[in-house]
Amino acid sequence: MVQPIRLAGLIAGFLVMIFPSLALAENVNFSVVPAEVHIDTLLPGEETEFELTIHNKDDIVHNYTITTSTPLEDQTREGRARFPDDDWITFSRQRIEITADSQANVTVVVAIPQEQRWAGRDWETWLGVTAESSDMLAVRLYVRLLVSTGGRRFNPGLVAGIAVAVVLLGFGSYYYFKRRPRPE
Amino acid sequence: MKTAVTSILLAIVLASVVSLPVLAQESSAITITMTGLDEISISLDKTDWSLGFIASDTTHETDPAIQWCTLTVGGTCNVNTFITGGDAEWISDPSYKWTLSNDGTNGVHTYGLWFRISGDTARGYVPITKTQGEFWPPPLGSSLAPGDSSQFGLRLLSPTYFYSSRQMQTQITISAVAA
Repeated sequence: MVQPIRLAGLIAGFLVMIFPSLALAENVNFSVVPAEVHIDTLLPGEETEFELTIHNKDDIVHNYTITTSTPLEDQTREGRARFPDDDWITFSRQRIEITADSQANVTVVVAIPQEQRWAGRDWETWLGVTAESSDMLAVRLYVRLLVSTGGRRFNPGLVAGIAVAVVLLGFGSYYYFKRRPRPE
Repeated sequence: MKTAVTSILLAIVLASVVSLPVLAQESSAITITMTGLDEISISLDKTDWSLGFIASDTTHETDPAIQWCTLTVGGTCNVNTFITGGDAEWISDPSYKWTLSNDGTNGVHTYGLWFRISGDTARGYVPITKTQGEFWPPPLGSSLAPGDSSQFGLRLLSPTYFYSSRQMQTQITISAVAA
């Protein structure tokens, strides 16, 4: 049964074409500034923004798409965890057309939800800028985005410990003062 | 009574001294640093590879085999580079696909893709998969610097069986991040 299928496939195969692109072959050459962004002491509930500049260095117009991307585990900066939610990052434009040999800016907004559990964290995510193409080879440039949130994390254990300490200290002081011999 | 009140007040004061700095939220200005405004850039001198008519279960290589395309690093920062591929789709109806195999082998409606960097004798041809893999290998240097270039070629292994007379299209993405 397998043999006839393989034979039919071989015969049919000669009739198949691959056309990765109907357009003429092109070079692709562009750049993004900056290559790496550090945001420090961003408190939960706050937001901040910065600009990416995309420079089309080709002599034809290109469209570019901007997306967030999870970094490869062994490629993140030391001590950085994965960014929790890509929805916290928005772009002024996710697709932009740039004419030949010119540049354009995209505003990136980073907003951290107002939850104490996001305080005191160090995250990394990548912002990918891809030159759209129907060719077989495409190029994507990643911008490293390093976000450190300010504030201190709520620690339930610490709060419970302090509460217990208050009670013990109160009782201890009470008995100390009560049993201390009074001066005659 | 006086002793009890004194004790409780003392406990509260001591607890506050310890806990307030710990529980207080820091408030300071947000700092955004754009490391020296480094520019990241790579370019390819060739992006299209048209194979024309192909048969099932056959191997096709770019010409020249491993110096077909040149990747050049521009910008001002060293980069780590990656490569990833995808399924090949029929341009008339993308629901018909050739699945990209995860080890470079082929099968029924499954094809293999490989790349080879000129001078990379240690790895030779490396499978391109849907998972982002390292393009420039650490044995040759962990990253590429501005002005560096690297030549490479591609190899395609067609499926052992596929539907005929269909124009298929696929894309390989080469990416870079600041090292």
